[in-house]
Amino acid sequence: MYAKEMAKQSLPLIVLCGLGAIVAGSTLSLMVDLFNKIPGLIVVIPGIIAMRGNIGTALGSRLGSAYHLGIIDDENLWNEDLKQNIIGSFVLSFLVSIIIGVLAYISSLIIGVYPNPALLITIVILAGIISGLILNLLTIGIIYLVFRRGYDPDNITGPALATFGDIITMLCIFGSALLMEAIL
Amino acid sequence: MIYNWKTIVKNGLPLLTIAVIAEIFAGQILQGNEKLLITLPIFLISIPVINSVGGNIGSVLGARLASGLHVGYITRSLKDKEMHDNVLISLLIGFIAYFVLGIIIYLVASLGNNVSDIDLIEFVTIIVLTGFLLVFVIAIVSVITAFISFKYGLDPDDIVAPVVTTVGDVLGIGFLFLITGVFGIW
Repeated sequence: MYAKEMAKQSLPLIVLCGLGAIVAGSTLSLMVDLFNKIPGLIVVIPGIIAMRGNIGTALGSRLGSAYHLGIIDDENLWNEDLKQNIIGSFVLSFLVSIIIGVLAYISSLIIGVYPNPALLITIVILAGIISGLILNLLTIGIIYLVFRRGYDPDNITGPALATFGDIITMLCIFGSALLMEAIL
Repeated sequence: MIYNWKTIVKNGLPLLTIAVIAEIFAGQILQGNEKLLITLPIFLISIPVINSVGGNIGSVLGARLASGLHVGYITRSLKDKEMHDNVLISLLIGFIAYFVLGIIIYLVASLGNNVSDIDLIEFVTIIVLTGFLLVFVIAIVSVITAFISFKYGLDPDDIVAPVVTTVGDVLGIGFLFLITGVFGIW
């Protein structure tokens, strides 16, 4: 019965990703004091996580295609195509972070919460850029190892980035909020 | 050189902006229920889990429907038996995953003394009901998105995953507060 096959193949991976999400969620639960002190901070959380996931998996999947097209490999990794991909992913992170911060601020005003716009937008940009930096480096690292071992990057980068991505992103939001709350 | 950062930004920005607008809705639902989340942080731990499982099941279902439509063993009909089987299995996988993860969340939260106001059975029931409702709606969205995109000659493989993960994030958070409300936890 193929239904049993389907459950057997995808259930373990789904539960495993769920365990990663518990780590991300535990980080979130450590931020309750910050949510109290910084109005609007909780609004940006789903947006930043979704942005990181989208930009990261798109980068991983483009690098996978580049490998299959023969444009990059482990001997010729740090070339102009990789650089353009990294720059593109950074510019997107920066622009989308600003959009998230501004939308969170405006939508909060509409429902009668008054965040500090400078604080909120700076936290989002900082978290977006730092998590982007760490995850870009991680992507290149994973891609390099995958190339060396001769695996297909399309099968590895997606799940690996999705699992590590949420945790690293949560930690970056936590760190940026702590830092900005202390400075401003 | 085939990649240019400007093209990457231009292609990525419109869809990302739409996704982010939906996620701000999800964020505002969180802000509206901030008091509950601060008094019972166990629900803060649960949110990424609810969304991760829902998004993954939706993406797997979408990919399977796409393959079936491409190869031809699934037809674009709401009565398709193969499609029904896929949806039912998704519901079963969702039930098991939310049940197991609900228990683990409770154990993790009890290490941090975050469970004084809720017991295990009540919490796991809330998570399983939220998850079941979410997977049910995600499955419907996944089928509709796959069928419509296939009808218009678009590849469901490109469309279904981003749609169900974004819709799932908003609905997952919404359903959680719906169910906690039904249980009288505010």
